Amino acid sequence: MQIFICENSIDGIFSGIYRAYESRLGHNNIRLAAADALLSYELFCQYEEVPVDPENSRKVAATLRSRLGQEAYRDICQAISACETEIERRKNMDKAEAVYKTVVLGLSMKNGSGVLSCLGSPYVARVFQLARSAGNEAHHLLGFLRFQELANGVLFSRIHPKNDVLPLLAEHFADRLPMENFIIYDENRRTAALHRKGSGYLLAEVPEADEAFLNRFSEKEQEYQRLWLEFFHSIAIEARKNPRLQRQNIPKRFWPDTVELAPEAFG
Amino acid sequence: MRIAQNLTLMEKLNILSDAAKYDVACTSSGVDRGGSGKGMGNCAAPGICHTFSADGRCISLLKILFTNECVFNCAYCYNNCNSDVRRAAFTPEEVCTLTMEFYRRNYIEGLFLSSGVLVSPNYTMDLLYQTLYRLRYVHGFHGYIHVKSIPGADPLLVEKVGFLADRMSVNLELPTADSLRRLAPCKSRSTILKPMRQIQNSIAASRQELALLERRLYPGRGELAHWQETPRFAPAGQSTQMIIGATPESDYEILSVAEGLYQNFHLKRVFFSAFVNVTEDSALPALPGGPPLLREHRLYQADWLLRFYHFKVSELLSKEKPDFNIFLDPKCDWALRHLEFFPVEINRADYYTLLRVPGIGYKSASRIVKARRQSVLTFSDLKKIGVVLKRALYFITCSGRMMYNTKLEEDYICRNLMGDKTQIPREIRESGYRQLSLFDEGMIAQDSAASFQKIIGA
Repeated sequence: MQIFICENSIDGIFSGIYRAYESRLGHNNIRLAAADALLSYELFCQYEEVPVDPENSRKVAATLRSRLGQEAYRDICQAISACETEIERRKNMDKAEAVYKTVVLGLSMKNGSGVLSCLGSPYVARVFQLARSAGNEAHHLLGFLRFQELANGVLFSRIHPKNDVLPLLAEHFADRLPMENFIIYDENRRTAALHRKGSGYLLAEVPEADEAFLNRFSEKEQEYQRLWLEFFHSIAIEARKNPRLQRQNIPKRFWPDTVELAPEAFG
Repeated sequence: MRIAQNLTLMEKLNILSDAAKYDVACTSSGVDRGGSGKGMGNCAAPGICHTFSADGRCISLLKILFTNECVFNCAYCYNNCNSDVRRAAFTPEEVCTLTMEFYRRNYIEGLFLSSGVLVSPNYTMDLLYQTLYRLRYVHGFHGYIHVKSIPGADPLLVEKVGFLADRMSVNLELPTADSLRRLAPCKSRSTILKPMRQIQNSIAASRQELALLERRLYPGRGELAHWQETPRFAPAGQSTQMIIGATPESDYEILSVAEGLYQNFHLKRVFFSAFVNVTEDSALPALPGGPPLLREHRLYQADWLLRFYHFKVSELLSKEKPDFNIFLDPKCDWALRHLEFFPVEINRADYYTLLRVPGIGYKSASRIVKARRQSVLTFSDLKKIGVVLKRALYFITCSGRMMYNTKLEEDYICRNLMGDKTQIPREIRESGYRQLSLFDEGMIAQDSAASFQKIIGA
């Protein structure tokens, strides 16, 4: 058994897939493993580390797009960007391996766009599960994210997502707020989406954020936050009060980044 | 006029959102519209929830009344003309400012605007029109707008408002004309159903016009979705709501009305609102156990069965069995009474048969149909697909085998299903239904109608 070890990222896993095809050893004789998920080495296996190669990754991406379709490609990328806890990782199949075998299955089909509905395959089921969990978080954040208006009129939002959902969010808000300058800052990954009024958006790394600047809000900001709090409290029906249902619908990890459920809101 | 003057925006928002909270329809779904590149806003078809209030309900839209001043005297309504509440009214500009500022901070998905009847239905409807017009054309708002049509307003005004809104609704309020006469003397079946019919016709006409225009302009292209270019009448369709538990109608009557509305008026949704007694009117029932939340829950479950699972009301309920089982959801209840359809073979049964299996939702059913083209499915595959096996296992086989050695017998399955606590959602169990004991001896499905009546207080 040949095992290719690749970096746990879209480029890393795509480079691994390229190398696996290129090696011509037969897909049944190859496994892929994400470097940071590799727990122990097995006997009778050969290991090879595959460096990230943007060119190969691009080729794989182009093939997937044209053969599996935009939708399946998006789901695969989403699955790769999904974050797993240590326990989930131990319990489940390696992400890189699941993606690789899903791709193999998809490319062997006449119509590859249906690959993600082959849930009978354990590989596809894993990719589907990962994509769904990342997709769910992104959908949650479309609603739970809050902008605050800074002193210079820029809308600023701070999020702490488990998965790398920034590109999806940026896409959505660029379409929604074309005439606003806004920043969405993923503090966990130290990346930000920047959008300029009337033009597109870009994703940037933020090694260090200017906290003083980010905490100066416009004059009106507090007023609207208060109005929102007022609305939030008066819209609830006392006779139906149900904190458990509330927690179930908006999990607590999202609370600190909202206006209405943040700890300060109750102070 | 009793409207207090000189109220701050904060006070108005407090009064007018509090007054709107018993309206249940807070969904932002049904229309997919990209941004326009200018202005502000887009719409996502599945809808987006922005937060959840202390009662656990989704907040998606800025749900407010334009005014809570009202000339009508509906007994169940907090804002009826005899009730002693503080009265307030927004100006169109205030509604626009709140909507725009909340929207750009991503607090909300759009606006839900309803109103008490100020002066007359026409006067009020015109105020709503002015507000929406300002919001769309002065402020360039392209997000979601749900507007209530005021019963008794001129059809021309309804038409004009419909072209600015995404969804329109007229509240049916009570399931039968009789109840309506008793509790809402200013409204009648005809002032409610007439605008409903009008909205239905306008939606259909607008769709048809659009399709014609499209064929002329862009032969061979799909649907055009820019309302900025081609105005569309309420593209997200029409909805309505009924109050549950204020009047003695049975579940069967309520659901039959809902079914009629879906079939004859092409409604997108019928909402049910568990009655909360806020006016202490003597014509209304006292509900010591709190609002009939479990009944509302069962009605919604059945509503889903009608809309997504191809069930008919006559299959679920009948004159002889007019109310839902409190202990089992409507689908399990149906399955138990129709064991002749089961077990269903997962690898063979068609989509519609799969839909009828408890524990298999419409998404799982379509995933099963697609996945089994590639490989034979096993129980562990079903689990990954999202089937709730603890309910489904009594009713299905995979390659001819049941999951465990279970009996296809009503009493046996019923006993096991009732052991499943999710049958009555925890949040309902813990809010007023604590008196229920699920494991009362000898309790079987058929007996429950009597205790149901007792608990609901109908």
